[in-house]
Amino acid sequence: MAQLAKEAGPRGSLPAEALASLATDVSSEPVVVETVLCLGECIDRAQRGGIDLVVVDEALGSDAEEIVARLRRRGPALVVLQRSASDAAALAWFRRGAAECVVADRNFAALRHAVREQIERGSALRAAGVEGRGATPAVDEILRHPLVLVDPAGSITFANPAAERILGSPQADLRGRPFLEFLADETGESALAAALERGEPSPSIETRVLRDDGRVVPIGLSWGPIIAGGSQPSGAVAVFQSLADVQQWRALALQTEKMASIGQLAAGVAHEINNPMGFIHSNLFQMSEYVADLRQVWSRVEVLLKAVASDDSDWLERAGADLAEAADERDVSFLLQDLAKAIRESQEGSERIRHIVQDLRDYSHQDTGERVLADLNQCLDSTANIVWPMMKHLVVLSKRYGELPPVPCYPIQLKQVFMNLLVNAYQAIEEAVEKRIHPGDLGTVTLTTGPHDGGVLVEISDTGAGIATDHLDRIFDPFFTTKKVGVGTGLGLSTSFNIVRRHGGTLRVESWPGRGTTFRIQLPLLHEEHEEIGSEPE
Amino acid sequence: MSRGARRVLLLVDDDPRILSALYRVLRREGYELLTAETTAEALRMIDENPIDCVLSDHKMPEMTGLELLEQVAKRHPHAARLLITGWNLEIDASELARLGVQRVLSKPWDDAELKQALRAAMNGGER
Repeated sequence: MAQLAKEAGPRGSLPAEALASLATDVSSEPVVVETVLCLGECIDRAQRGGIDLVVVDEALGSDAEEIVARLRRRGPALVVLQRSASDAAALAWFRRGAAECVVADRNFAALRHAVREQIERGSALRAAGVEGRGATPAVDEILRHPLVLVDPAGSITFANPAAERILGSPQADLRGRPFLEFLADETGESALAAALERGEPSPSIETRVLRDDGRVVPIGLSWGPIIAGGSQPSGAVAVFQSLADVQQWRALALQTEKMASIGQLAAGVAHEINNPMGFIHSNLFQMSEYVADLRQVWSRVEVLLKAVASDDSDWLERAGADLAEAADERDVSFLLQDLAKAIRESQEGSERIRHIVQDLRDYSHQDTGERVLADLNQCLDSTANIVWPMMKHLVVLSKRYGELPPVPCYPIQLKQVFMNLLVNAYQAIEEAVEKRIHPGDLGTVTLTTGPHDGGVLVEISDTGAGIATDHLDRIFDPFFTTKKVGVGTGLGLSTSFNIVRRHGGTLRVESWPGRGTTFRIQLPLLHEEHEEIGSEPE
Repeated sequence: MSRGARRVLLLVDDDPRILSALYRVLRREGYELLTAETTAEALRMIDENPIDCVLSDHKMPEMTGLELLEQVAKRHPHAARLLITGWNLEIDASELARLGVQRVLSKPWDDAELKQALRAAMNGGER
């Protein structure tokens, strides 16, 4: 039986029928509704115990705030009835400790739904042997997540509304079905066995829910045993969470980081394009002047041809002298020679631009979302080509590529890792060079690849400033950066680390302050993933 | 004016195609044109010749254009100093002022603007 305390507003704003319907409408279990009219009475009643849920009317103003503040984590779940929709106000209520906020509508449907949901959560907890709802912050937290209880055989005995939404079926249809039926792979199985047989909680795993309607939802899942009374678990509780949003966030973070590294490259690329653009642009103007000059000379040639045809020797002589003078004045031999040279140089410049654009296109090419077999030497090389213009004035690039088998991977993501590491290597060298004693000293970036331990190894080493020892264990943390504001997002290495891990590989670092840093990426050739492996589209 | 009627203009850029294009634009402007592909070569020319003006690229190996112009300022304080660069956002404006750089031109440049900037810089630099 659930007990419900109801705080009616002083303005009598909650109609009696709404209260009555709460008693009959919300649960198959009998619900007792009690009404209190003021702050003191409410606190007294709650402290006497036996109350599962308190509905607080926002219209009580500061009294409502005080009720929530004083009753939070003291037993009853707190539902706040808002008088008008406001996300900011709802957020404030959640911060104060409300379990739910609903806006008052005409027939209080939202309120009834919220109360029903809270009562079911309470039942689930009691079934799981956890008494006193909202007793600890951890329990509060668990209640917001999808939650499923299973019996010792692994069949579902309870699913809360959040779990119903993810599993795609109402509780009535879920009851009695093995929970493992809903998982698209076996990763959840051994964890459940550990909970049921040995009474051990499982660490979180990432897996996928396969719904009856065919939809697949990525989830993070952990199991806990339910031990009530005896030493044998009487069931297990699965707490999970949809990772659909998390995965979207990851994709976004990836894109953000990519844009940031492109921002850093913009200077290098713009410089590299503007140089050839500069001389092509100027050459075209000069060439058109050359052509104008040559046309002037040619007009004298035409006169000379007429003179030849006329048999007029004076005219012929005059025209000849005219032509010679014009040709000399315009320096025709230089013009012809330099015109050819200007054309050649401009062609070379346009070829340079074409290359840069090609490399950029390769880099920004979107991943198809499937793993493909790719040549990592080629991935590394094309990425190095993009970074090269930026670093060439400070860096000698040494390439030691070994023979590599095709690697199943997301090539664009790996290229981003290479890009991050190359940009870091360059910046480390830049930092070292800023303190240089002999101007003109260059740093070295060494790219080494080769087969290793049944997989492949890609190493990016620099002779830059190195990483301080006390920073070394933090460099993969998100937003950790020692770079100046605007230079880095602090996400590069953390993103890189995650990408490599998603490939089933490792990213390790060794650094010697003042001497340089080596990043070492190891990738397996086989990675357990139930995905088709195609070949990289060229 | 340093010597004779012709002013001496030194062009510095690590990209020879740029030097070649600048030469085309300026060959009939009445200057004596010197070109250098490295800052070391440029410094040697500065030591060996009376220079009226240096037009230098900024981003070069060994030394930036700004560092080169700092050397020019020491050795030929009266020489006009200009930069030409493909990406001028990375140049510190206060450094430009400190080193008395008259003008920063961007690549691609406008030929007429380039000629005008050089004339203006050299007339201003004649003290």
